Amino acid sequence: MKFKLLPMLLAVTLAGTAFAQVKPEDAIKFRQSGYGFMAWNMQRIKMNVEGGNYNKDEVIKAANAIQAIANSGMGALYLPGTDKGKGWEETRAKANVWTDKEKLGKVAMAFNKEANEMAKVAATGDAGAVEEQLGKLGGTCKGCHDDFKAKR
Amino acid sequence: MNMNSKRFRLWDLPTRLFHWLLVLCVGAAVLSGQLGGKLIVWHGRIGLVIVGLVVFRLVWGLLGSTYSRFANFLPTPATIKAYLRGEWQGEGHNPLGALSVFGLLALLAAQVATGLFSNDDIAFHGPLATLVGNDLSNRLTGIHHLVSDLLIGFVVLHLGAIIFYGHVKKQKLLKPMITGWGEGEGPSATGGGWVAFVVALVVALAAVYGASGGWLPGPPPLPPAAETPNW
Repeated sequence: MKFKLLPMLLAVTLAGTAFAQVKPEDAIKFRQSGYGFMAWNMQRIKMNVEGGNYNKDEVIKAANAIQAIANSGMGALYLPGTDKGKGWEETRAKANVWTDKEKLGKVAMAFNKEANEMAKVAATGDAGAVEEQLGKLGGTCKGCHDDFKAKR
Repeated sequence: MNMNSKRFRLWDLPTRLFHWLLVLCVGAAVLSGQLGGKLIVWHGRIGLVIVGLVVFRLVWGLLGSTYSRFANFLPTPATIKAYLRGEWQGEGHNPLGALSVFGLLALLAAQVATGLFSNDDIAFHGPLATLVGNDLSNRLTGIHHLVSDLLIGFVVLHLGAIIFYGHVKKQKLLKPMITGWGEGEGPSATGGGWVAFVVALVVALAAVYGASGGWLPGPPPLPPAAETPNW
């Protein structure tokens, strides 16, 4: 048995590394994809609360999508050195993403919390409450954009 | 008021109304812009009001009463030099104050203009943002943020100047902007009657309508419920 253990350990370790590591270029691309996809879902919710034509199922789908992405652990995509580089476009992540970790952690957790809450509120089908929660959720997006996303 | 102190009509009512409404709106715009969230919708609405105020002031600068007219206080290198040497004579905006007025108006115009085409990368965009591509909208958003800082700086300078004039030069600038009366021997302002006011108001309202995008052909005519897979 002993002779088999070492290669197995090695294989597991290698597999683990391969799983965790994403190419920097891909990491930036995945980040941008995540935010872009959430933007679509934010718009969907907004159109439903504003249009006077509220579709509960649409809003639930959108809120669940945002919640899923928020809880997907996107922090793993912020590899060291990816403050520069191109995904779909040049990254707008500012260098302080990698230095001001405590503050970023707070705004990220605030976002997760409101995204989870949005999914709960969406499930109730209460358009007024959804509109209210959309404002709160948007506010937490801004929390990061203000300090950690480069303006052009 | 002291019985024997002279006074004259300095700032007409529309100019004062413009000024104080602008104070309210700029304050509210800065606040709603910084706080974001649900207030971003109000940020957009307040921006439209500021469009109206700025355009009103631009027209009033042509049609308003004496001291509100741009031609009355258009600063030139010569008048600025004279003022700095203490040789300038006049009432209303002095040449340096005039520079500040034009600077503030220009920054405000730039701020509302870029705001109309901006987006916040969340779920809000200015009413005319759909007229430009995403890249340009992002660029204008960047300028909007930059001008915001400049504007706040200018407002601080403006307030600082008022305090400086009040304490050092013993010249009260605040009171005339409230009462409309200037202290001293100056000739009272004339012109800027009802017709001028209505014209300026109509032009301002037209500008707000233009800026609101109300004339845009509805939300982009979606192809009638495009057939998409329902998964």
